[in-house]
Amino acid sequence: MSVATEAVAADLGLVSRRRLIDGGVEVTFPLAPGDRPLVAAGESVLAGAPIAERVRDAQLTDRVVLASAEPRPGERVPEGELLFDWRGRWRIAGGEVTESLETPVAGIVREVRAGTAIVIRASGRAMHGIVALGGPSAGHLHVAAGGDGELRAGGLDVGLAGTILVVGSRIEAETLTRARAMGVRGIIVGGLASKERRDFLASERRQRAALHRLPPYAVLVLEGAVRRPIASPVLDILSALEGREVAIVSDPPMLLFDAPDVDLPVPRPDLVRIRGGQLGGSEGTWAGVVGPRRFAGGIHLEAGAVRFEDGSVMAVPLGDLERFD
Amino acid sequence: MTTEPRAFLTIDHGAATSSVALIGRAGGAWRLIGTLALPAGADVDPAIDLLVRRVVAADPLLSETLGVGGSNVEALPRFEVRSRPPRRLAVVAGSERTLAGLVHIAGRSGWSVLGASAEGMDPLAMTRLLLDHGIEAILVGAADPPRADERSAIRELATLVAAVAGRRPELPIVLSGAMSEALDAFGDVAARPGEILLAPAAQAMSRGGARGLARAVASRPDADEPAADPLGELLLELALPADDPRRAIGPATQALADVLDRRVETIVLGHDAAVRAAADPAAGGVAATARLAVVPAAAVAPEEPDDAVVDGVLLWSTVPADRHRLRDRMRELRIAPWADAAGEGAALRMAAARAALVRLAGVTADFDRAPAPDLVVAGGGVWSAVPAPTVALAIVDVIRRPGASQYALDHARLLGALGAIPDPRERLAVMTDLADDLLAPLGSVVTPAGLRSGRSAGSVVVHADGAATEMELIPGGLELVDLPPGQTAVAEFRFRDRVRLGARGRHFAVDVAGGLGGLLVDLRDVPLRLPERADRRRDLLAAWQAALWQGQDA
Repeated sequence: MSVATEAVAADLGLVSRRRLIDGGVEVTFPLAPGDRPLVAAGESVLAGAPIAERVRDAQLTDRVVLASAEPRPGERVPEGELLFDWRGRWRIAGGEVTESLETPVAGIVREVRAGTAIVIRASGRAMHGIVALGGPSAGHLHVAAGGDGELRAGGLDVGLAGTILVVGSRIEAETLTRARAMGVRGIIVGGLASKERRDFLASERRQRAALHRLPPYAVLVLEGAVRRPIASPVLDILSALEGREVAIVSDPPMLLFDAPDVDLPVPRPDLVRIRGGQLGGSEGTWAGVVGPRRFAGGIHLEAGAVRFEDGSVMAVPLGDLERFD
Repeated sequence: MTTEPRAFLTIDHGAATSSVALIGRAGGAWRLIGTLALPAGADVDPAIDLLVRRVVAADPLLSETLGVGGSNVEALPRFEVRSRPPRRLAVVAGSERTLAGLVHIAGRSGWSVLGASAEGMDPLAMTRLLLDHGIEAILVGAADPPRADERSAIRELATLVAAVAGRRPELPIVLSGAMSEALDAFGDVAARPGEILLAPAAQAMSRGGARGLARAVASRPDADEPAADPLGELLLELALPADDPRRAIGPATQALADVLDRRVETIVLGHDAAVRAAADPAAGGVAATARLAVVPAAAVAPEEPDDAVVDGVLLWSTVPADRHRLRDRMRELRIAPWADAAGEGAALRMAAARAALVRLAGVTADFDRAPAPDLVVAGGGVWSAVPAPTVALAIVDVIRRPGASQYALDHARLLGALGAIPDPRERLAVMTDLADDLLAPLGSVVTPAGLRSGRSAGSVVVHADGAATEMELIPGGLELVDLPPGQTAVAEFRFRDRVRLGARGRHFAVDVAGGLGGLLVDLRDVPLRLPERADRRRDLLAAWQAALWQGQDA
């Protein structure tokens, strides 16, 4: 490698790094007072195993609990979970209707705290997103649209039930709710606009409040709030996972998969992607730092040169670039 | 040969921006040799390499003297500070009034605050809030002595919090005011891994809620500023480690005030929190301490841009946008703060910065009751991507105080790092050397108040370098006088009517210093009044900004 090439490679570190895949992640499932954990720390769990019973519409009651029972906050009695003793009567959180919380991933339970959370160290690998709405959920991955494509409500059919769909650069709330109604278990999308997000969350709240609920459903947003193609290295990985069982969790927001036999594609090390600006979503290769440049609006920013597929080279603000590892 | 380092690096790892500065010993003093700011996701070592390469290229002799060239880079001592995301504090109280005071104090002490009172929330919901896995500390308080409206609730509240404390023993818990008397409910506190701290009642709380602080300041005959707030100081210590660059802005501002012998105010707009610090120079050998507020709610790009945030940005936006689109752009700014920084992105940052200043000013209203400081220092990554002359305008658009102040920019983000030097004498010594280098002069702003609209308010003559420039003062606008960095002048104001400019009067002679924005005479209303109609407001804001933003249309 020549000195000049080495300098270019070293300068690539000036570009923000985006980690594609992580291993050994810990997933948190929040609990509320009254919820009953069904697992203990150190236990192994399989995907789909119930890990807690969640109380719907928890209520507060109080009653005397004999001191001989040595009651403590957080312990359970038939009515629910003990909260605190007030003037000889224990405040209790409980409810008649419960629903099962199932882990969408296999792993080892690291921590169980009644009323707070269950933490599981997930087996397999994970791809990070910006935010996950709804869920947790699991299903077979299906790439339904290209990186810069868009899935419309009319493009859905019941044959997609049980899948987690990769739908491209954006999606409307109507399509999200239609997909949920058809039994789709999750959506992976590049960008989700605030309006669509608000409308979907309102719909999800109504659905969760209904007596007969649909199976868990989650939306994983990979990029942000504006329409932007899914990055090619990300789409390559998703394509490699086509047909595999994957899961979406919200804390932290990520896609989890346990597929040790899948050889995930690795992007070339000098690949850079333009995240913002007029060329947002374009990809090219790093051609070195070029120093401060003047951009639109008279703004001076540190820039790097990007070589595109057609051979052209352009100076792009470093802040607009991302690389992958 | 000496082993004393002749150069070192300061690295400020911010939430959005990483800043590297090379400090070298030249001419018997520490000098800022070079600086580079990059997105926080970039690696620091290549940034250091690039910075050193530039220094070597610019002045090979100096770099050789400092010993920074070639393979010596890795051997350079590094002084690093790192911002961490604000931690979440649950604040609970017996009454809404008490809660308001506690939330006010906690919200300016570096905490991201969630509040609830026994008056407004049932015990189940409150337990849910306190047990939430995102909560990292609890503040439970009452007035001292307890108010009538909270007396009956505080014992049950203490029992509830004690039960949570038992279930989450790692959580630090602060008992404030009369709540301290319920310490016995927490059992053996020494055996608990998380501290239980006793604190006085919030000053604001004991004098009538959040607004009480303002009244308390106004009612003290000697006071331009409130007395130190022990609860706020305790919460600040609990929220941020001593080397956190935001907390270090307090000591840095004090050191700067001592070095310059001037009243200094620092305003830092960060990705996760805004900081405001004010310091007077030490007098009579008695060390002074800066007032400091760290306000996560005034972050430039809050994690969840709610309607209030979006409307606040919309108010200052010079680019047409509906609420949904602006919310999308605020989310993008949160996710990738350096992306899309040119063109409309810069205008968005200016609007977001002004909106953050409004939120900061709302929480730190007590700072504005003091006279205008001699020097205002602006800091924060948001200013990295906008023309420097517009920075002072953005601040005076929002924080409107009659008076004259000089403005400067902490362009190398050194204040956070220097403020974190633990030894005050060493900090002062380094600050003495670096004060001139770390501040990029933006210029001076003179803001008279009480002008009558509709006619000429008088005139100003600027005496500089033996020449005099006279101009008429037209109320409602901005007058710009070209005064380059390093130049000083005397501005002689003659108003037709009595105005407020520090004191009340018609004739004033003000010493002013030049800068990238020159001398700005701000003849607009105090406080600023903006048109209701969005298009007129945008045009007006854009016109004011255009005078200081060269090449905006390019």
